[in-house]
Amino acid sequence: MCDIEEATNQLLDVNLHENQSSVQVTESDLRSESELLVTIGATGPTGFEQTAADEVREKLGSSCKISRDRGKIYFVISVESLAQVHCLRSVDNLFVVVQEFQDYQFKQIKEEVLKDFEDLAGKLPWSNPLKVWKINASFKKKKAKRKKINQNLSKEKINNGQEVKINQRNVKKEFTSHALDSHILDYYENPAIKEEVSTLVGDDLASSKDETDEISKEETEPQVLKFRVTCNRAGEKHCFTSNEAARDFGGAVQDYFKWKADMTNFDVEVLLNIHDNEVIVGIALTEESLHRRNITHFGPTTLRSTLAYGMLRLCDPLPYDIIVDPMCGTGAIPIEGATEWTDCFHIAGDNNPLAVNRAANNIASLLTKSQIKEGKPSWGLPIDAVQWDICNLPLRTGSVDIIVTDLPFGKRMGSKKRNWNLYPACLREMSRVCTPTTGRAVLLTQDTKCFTKALSGMRHVWRKVDTVWVNVGGLRAAVYVLIRTPQAFVHPSEQDGEKGTLW
Amino acid sequence: MIPKVEWAAFLEVADNLRLLQVPKGPVEGYEENKEFLRTTHHLLLEVEVMEGTLQGPESGHMFPISHGIPNMLLSEEETES
Repeated sequence: MCDIEEATNQLLDVNLHENQSSVQVTESDLRSESELLVTIGATGPTGFEQTAADEVREKLGSSCKISRDRGKIYFVISVESLAQVHCLRSVDNLFVVVQEFQDYQFKQIKEEVLKDFEDLAGKLPWSNPLKVWKINASFKKKKAKRKKINQNLSKEKINNGQEVKINQRNVKKEFTSHALDSHILDYYENPAIKEEVSTLVGDDLASSKDETDEISKEETEPQVLKFRVTCNRAGEKHCFTSNEAARDFGGAVQDYFKWKADMTNFDVEVLLNIHDNEVIVGIALTEESLHRRNITHFGPTTLRSTLAYGMLRLCDPLPYDIIVDPMCGTGAIPIEGATEWTDCFHIAGDNNPLAVNRAANNIASLLTKSQIKEGKPSWGLPIDAVQWDICNLPLRTGSVDIIVTDLPFGKRMGSKKRNWNLYPACLREMSRVCTPTTGRAVLLTQDTKCFTKALSGMRHVWRKVDTVWVNVGGLRAAVYVLIRTPQAFVHPSEQDGEKGTLW
Repeated sequence: MIPKVEWAAFLEVADNLRLLQVPKGPVEGYEENKEFLRTTHHLLLEVEVMEGTLQGPESGHMFPISHGIPNMLLSEEETES
């Protein structure tokens, strides 16, 4: 751990310039291949960088640098920990950093800038990152193809052999799946920033992404590697497009390595990320996600699992906590909860029978998978599904420790007008079931105006302690973290001296 | 989850379901007691009512369970106060 922290500190202090030759701090620390230290970049939901950094510190022992490129964090690990990196739940994509330029000096003339990129290709310290890539590729060798899954799934082909955790994570993603959000939109939210994303190979112009299923890398060691270059560019002062950068940089990479260019069936994906004056060259360790939006989804508004994980972390679950999602939809949040916080009990509820059924199916699949994978004599997950009305929960007063949910935005589900009545009613019922003083709620919504108004009338029971701004499906949304005040819930009818009960 | 279990309710349900060998309560030193833990784990997480009915203790209302999912939606007349 000591070495890693040292390396991280050195990395954080180093200011790299384009003309400097290999400055990978890690190379000077290299003693043997097994002790190779590498810098990993990870992308996740914007707004949850700190949460991701916390998870990295907790699970890998590394501290992180949070990048100006929003939604990205960087950390140093020993290459032996690579498999564990794929177990991180708060990040969607991983890459190994080849080189980072914090203050890249772009020339003013397009041809010159592009020439610089071409020259750059041959000067980068590729060898260690490629070693990492190779190790990583061996994890994926037997990965099953991702298929479109129908509602009643659990027909996944589960691979045998070196079932490294990557596969588990990928299959889990298929269960909890992703919203229709464009991952790329999460990088750059400000429309004022000119943004482009292009993936080019050789002389081809960027074409629309291959939206079909992910390609599994089942080939044994190929003779010649196939590659592509993906360029993300954001900034107002660039005189070139990401198309052009990817094309020319890609061309030089091809010349340097004698790799074959292939857009869809590539082995190596080189990333060229440009944000104003910051340039980072990396090699992807997971499949870049433009095609993620067509990955199977169960419902019209399924939350992506990394966001669900981030929200759950914000709740700070403690052992034995009862965690309820009263509007669970397809159950993304409770399912994420049941996999990561196994000493808590998770309840998924929704009024819509379709949603509850999907949630129950997802749970069933999770159960099946955990049985197969772990081969334990006992099974059973701390999670269950119920059909209920959020405004009349069949739960005792003060019995729930944590409420975490994705409130209807009023765009794809429900309506804005309905929210004006729904939000206050939800907050009220949630305050009833939630334990005073220690209880908390983490609520996601895009209808922040309505939520703020509803919350303002509930200050005696809910205290807001944090707001995290995120991007969900291209919409700006907020995650509100609330603490339940010590005030006990008083039923309106009790106030009048009557006592009624619905249950 | 043992500390959070409402044993009275748990026992009543276990009785309704005619389950056998149900512990009457958390035994002394239950954290180490493998037998107790295994049994309780089994009852709490592995036994699932697939079809049945839940009855509200005070109202007497009946809520159906189908495919393991209880339907706790109140009907119109139930919500009228």
